[in-house]
Amino acid sequence: MALLEVNHLSIGYQTAKGLLRAVDDVSFAVDAGQSLGLVGESGCGKTTIGMALMGLLPPNGSIVGGNVVLDGQDLSGLDEADLRQRRWRDIAMIFQAAMNALNPVQRVGEQIVEAILTHKPELEREEALHQVEGLYQLVGLPVGRMHDFPHQYSGGMKQRAVIAMALALNPKVIIADEPTTALDVIVQDQILKETKELQKEFNIAIIFISHDISIVSEVCEMIGVMYAGQMVERGTTREVLGQPRHPYTQALLNSFPALGGPRRPLRPIPGEPPLLIGRRFGCRFCDRCPVPASSCKLEPPELVQVGETHFVRCDNV
Amino acid sequence: MTRYVINRLVQIVVILFMILTILFVLFRLAPGDPVARMVDPNMTPEDAARLIAQLGLDLPIWRQYLTYLGNCLTGNFGHSFHYGLPVLEIIGQRLPNTILLFSTGVLLSAVAGIAWGKLAAWNKGKATDLWLTVASLITHTLFLPWLALLLIWVFGYKLDWFPINGMISDEVWLDPDSGVLLKAWDVAYHMILPLGTLFIMHFGAYLLVMRSSMLETLKEDYIITARAKGLTEKAIRNHHAAPNAWLPVVTSVGLSLAFSINGGALTETVFSWPGIGRELVFAVSQNDYPLAQASFLLVASVVLISNLVVDVLYAYLDPRIRY
Ligand SMILES: Nc1ncnc2c1ncn2[C@@H]1O[C@H](COP(=O)(O)OP(=O)(O)O)[C@@H](O)[C@H]1O
Ligand code: SF4
Ligand SMILES: [Mg+2]
Repeated sequence: MALLEVNHLSIGYQTAKGLLRAVDDVSFAVDAGQSLGLVGESGCGKTTIGMALMGLLPPNGSIVGGNVVLDGQDLSGLDEADLRQRRWRDIAMIFQAAMNALNPVQRVGEQIVEAILTHKPELEREEALHQVEGLYQLVGLPVGRMHDFPHQYSGGMKQRAVIAMALALNPKVIIADEPTTALDVIVQDQILKETKELQKEFNIAIIFISHDISIVSEVCEMIGVMYAGQMVERGTTREVLGQPRHPYTQALLNSFPALGGPRRPLRPIPGEPPLLIGRRFGCRFCDRCPVPASSCKLEPPELVQVGETHFVRCDNV
Repeated sequence: MTRYVINRLVQIVVILFMILTILFVLFRLAPGDPVARMVDPNMTPEDAARLIAQLGLDLPIWRQYLTYLGNCLTGNFGHSFHYGLPVLEIIGQRLPNTILLFSTGVLLSAVAGIAWGKLAAWNKGKATDLWLTVASLITHTLFLPWLALLLIWVFGYKLDWFPINGMISDEVWLDPDSGVLLKAWDVAYHMILPLGTLFIMHFGAYLLVMRSSMLETLKEDYIITARAKGLTEKAIRNHHAAPNAWLPVVTSVGLSLAFSINGGALTETVFSWPGIGRELVFAVSQNDYPLAQASFLLVASVVLISNLVVDVLYAYLDPRIRY
């Protein structure tokens, strides 16, 4: 059994126009020390999955099918108090928009101390502060800046502080939601490299969320490609990048420059993802698919295994 | 920061100087005989002559202006026409009464408004929120004299729980055996109805500001971070949401405190509270120019200085603000 298992997870948001199925029948598993990248266009449900793993869906969102099992324990069976105790201790999150993830009127070090003391109330404050010093060194922040406020940090420093905060309780899983999107490329590269090293060092499972498949393929050993709430292709990075089988994955690869790969013209994917409200027939990608079969509009495609750990949701493989 | 405060103080001095000049223009250069306006008609001719000399009303206008500035700078605001006492003495008597009543009123309603606003936002859409919001809206739109009279009628007259006017009871204050505590209690007792009026009138504004600011704050990313860290809802509310949410409220509390030295002529009149607000209205209506002039100046200074204090306080509460 893997450390984290997501089984047939479906998540809906209650909206004025009806139930919005943001995530539909998504499954994956991650082991300690492994990294899985969730990749796909904006709005395909990546953040929603991350929030569901944290048990932090907004009030109008709920899990409508499937479950999340961490370390053999089904998280949906836990009450709010249990969930709260597991948050950050078991699963920590590095948020999208990390720039605003820190409280502007509280000193940065203090916000990490708070995370530590919440879960280890028996610790002395001094001891917690000492741990934060260690974390600062770990992520390459000057210890002397612990008592600064967030606005005194650069974007990269804030991101490092958020990473330090995520590492504070030595969690089993870290969800990193577009962690470096707001940073310039050089800082982004550095931080990604260091994050990867830390992840290996502490044997943490990481779920790395990004819209950029080239970044994901650099950081992660497994990739799940999301489209309109579904995971349309999943496998090792080698499988997915080496033999992309889903037309969407192929299109996605064409729309980003491959790092270190051969130069080729970039082609954006024409069209828009479908609305997620209401009944739908057939494959969700069929309106934009360059190679649809006649059956595609009728029956939703099943997930089919095409390699050892390689799965594709397309009838045309 | 020190430099900023010094700059602001200089600004304040300049503005006060401008206000002095405007007051001078208003009181001297208005149509009509300035001597008749500045000199109490009931004075003996000798007194009148002395006052004319003191104010320099027989001198050219620019000399008058200099004399006026000199008098103001040395705190010589003259004598009240009506009371015949030095203006500063009258203000010195009335001002503490006003400050006592209105600052207490502002602070009580702010503390309650902030606490309830927090509660309402946290329970958005639930019954608690509905009741608090509706109560704020209703009380905030009440007509003050009506509320005051209602309270007086119910609690002062019908139930006879509280004194209906004044600030002290003569029998307590004239009795040589009354201790400080007894006197303080006597004042507090007299304060209850006017305080109640102020409280009911004003907590709603703070509640509504705090509620909406809190709701904005709750959408921020750092609130999600706090939740993800596994903090309890109470810790999120008190350590993360509230310290950000009350920033805009601070300004409004600070300025209300500043304007509270104005007193409220209405409240002071209804409750016969011997404060500065009632005095100011009285001075204006009685053409008691020296008293009116000094009161205006006082109000202006306090408002200017409180503004500065609020700004400094804001910088202390919000580390992003640095001057
Ligand atoms: N609180 C919400 N209420 C209603 N719909 C939402 C809410 N949050 C997200 N959605 C919708 O759910 C879908 C998935 O959103 P999200 O998980 O944020 O996507 P991603 O992170 O991949 O960009 C989008 O269509 C989005 O509009
Ligand atoms: S199922 Fe059909 S429409 Fe959907 S991706 Fe495959 S080929 Fe294209
Ligand atoms: Mg997202």
